[in-house]
Amino acid sequence: MRTTIPLVLTFIVGVFMVGEFFIPHWGYQQVKSLVLEFGAVVSGVAFFLGVINLVQVNMPVVVGREDDWQYKLILLLSMAAMMVIGLWEGTTRMEDGAAYKWLFDAVFIPLNATMFALLAFYIASAAFRAFRARNAEATVLLLAACIVMLARVPIGEQIPGIGEYLSRFQNWLMDVPNVAGRRAIFIGAALGAVATGVRIILGIERSHLGGD
Amino acid sequence: MKGLLASLSQFWVIWIVLNVPGMGLAADLTVEAPQYSSGLKLGLNWTVPTVQSDSLLIVRSGVGPNGPWEIAKSGLQPSETEFVDKVTDDAFRSPPLEQYWYRVVGLAAGMTVKKDPDSLTQLMASSLFQLEGSGRPEASLFKHYPGIWMLLLIVLSVAAMIFYFSAQVRKGNGSKIRRIAGIDAIEEGIGRATEMGKPVLYVPGIDNLEDIQTIASILILGEVSKTVAEYQTDLIVSCCIPIVREVADEVVRSGYYRAGHPDAFDPTSVRFIASDQFAFCAGTNGIMYREKPATNIYLGRFFAESLILAETGYVNRSIQIAGTAEATQLPFFIAACDYTLIGEELFAVSAYLSQDPRLVSSLKASDVVKLVCVGFLVVGIVSHSLGLGFIGNLFSLTGGLP
Repeated sequence: MRTTIPLVLTFIVGVFMVGEFFIPHWGYQQVKSLVLEFGAVVSGVAFFLGVINLVQVNMPVVVGREDDWQYKLILLLSMAAMMVIGLWEGTTRMEDGAAYKWLFDAVFIPLNATMFALLAFYIASAAFRAFRARNAEATVLLLAACIVMLARVPIGEQIPGIGEYLSRFQNWLMDVPNVAGRRAIFIGAALGAVATGVRIILGIERSHLGGD
Repeated sequence: MKGLLASLSQFWVIWIVLNVPGMGLAADLTVEAPQYSSGLKLGLNWTVPTVQSDSLLIVRSGVGPNGPWEIAKSGLQPSETEFVDKVTDDAFRSPPLEQYWYRVVGLAAGMTVKKDPDSLTQLMASSLFQLEGSGRPEASLFKHYPGIWMLLLIVLSVAAMIFYFSAQVRKGNGSKIRRIAGIDAIEEGIGRATEMGKPVLYVPGIDNLEDIQTIASILILGEVSKTVAEYQTDLIVSCCIPIVREVADEVVRSGYYRAGHPDAFDPTSVRFIASDQFAFCAGTNGIMYREKPATNIYLGRFFAESLILAETGYVNRSIQIAGTAEATQLPFFIAACDYTLIGEELFAVSAYLSQDPRLVSSLKASDVVKLVCVGFLVVGIVSHSLGLGFIGNLFSLTGGLP
């Protein structure tokens, strides 16, 4: 019973949601929207469980003064502060002058931007390692990368004799082989996704249900 | 006296326009339900009258050809000749009626549109022209486009072939999966972590549970957690979405039970980090720096944080196995990880690891459909090159190629 009911529910809801693409009737679409709202409510409730998990994982480290407990304390205090301030200010929390908005704009956004900015340096270090002419395929990758990078900067077009052709070749490279490869990946992934979805709806794949 | 006569004549003109059908009104407005409609929309088409107006107003009535009217759309340009009206915003509370009457009203400059019925009636009475028409919303039960039928055929074909190949496996005609280095490396990586006494880090992507890549990753997590339990290694699962954490927790717990080590399951091993992309990335990086996992497994949907995670793992000298169907992130994983599963290989991992005949047969089913799709692609390329568009139209989801 513990696995049968979820399997039956999965089948019924799965078939119903697949039908959304085939049945345009407004009654069907309204029920589908309702089911999606149910899912959104469940996901919203799961946020409470996420907060509980954060406390469960980090509080023992702080209490026991284990390694790096200070970082856990900052995490818990930051979470508590945002929660309290957000609840206190309520619907006005994102208005100008609100403390929540100030914390969001002055702390959270810059920290986010900092992490994103690191990406540029990580790209450089990964490219330095990856673009090595170890074999034929790696050499082709290296040449293609060099051509695209050179053609994308203004100085590439200024190279006498080949500047114009470099730009055209780069455009062809991005529009033809690159798009062809990406579409092949999309098609393969889409069919794999269909097969995975069918396996789950038919109950062939059951490991996501957990259980003993 | 003259003023009284003028008022009376105006009154009679207005009375005739309002009450005599067709007087002052043109029937150049067609109202039709769009093809294979949901039953909530009506398409209006009209011919632009010769009378120049400043703007157009569209009013709708569900009662009769003479109102009461409500505004469907205001402020349309005088050159517009079509409009799709959604007859109701809340189909549950106010379901669509059987028939709707419309008027396209031409307004002169300076005429202000107000919502109250009396003002609207007066406005219409003083308008430059009115086009009238009526139509019935039609709710279709199925979209009869060729592409929709093809999509249904593909889904049903995959399901039918899964059952067929499963039956073949039961008869002893098993299928083989080609060796995929990245998937073999998962077990090797878990063994490496065991030897080094370090944990395995598993990241199931940052998208929600409704994404198929996340679902595939959770399915794989079940097999990985069973192997981790058998090797008696520590596992850390870093989740970005709380609901994914809950499902992952249950799946990991189940993996430990299936391996016969239920007591070895650590509830704090499956962690919700943060629901924001880069906060999650920073938290997971922190786990890598502090707990120094020997093996990092990134399977699921990733975005810009993919390279930050992979590079941090590289710096920590972890063996890294990544898999995603997100084409924009694959180059980063290929550059920074030891093994990368590309696109469809991600969906084959659970079958490969479990070697369950039914799961393997589903791989064979999707491979057969892939071959058929390749065939259609080749035929489509040739036919389009020859100017024959029928193959493309066969897969169109909207009734035909432009």
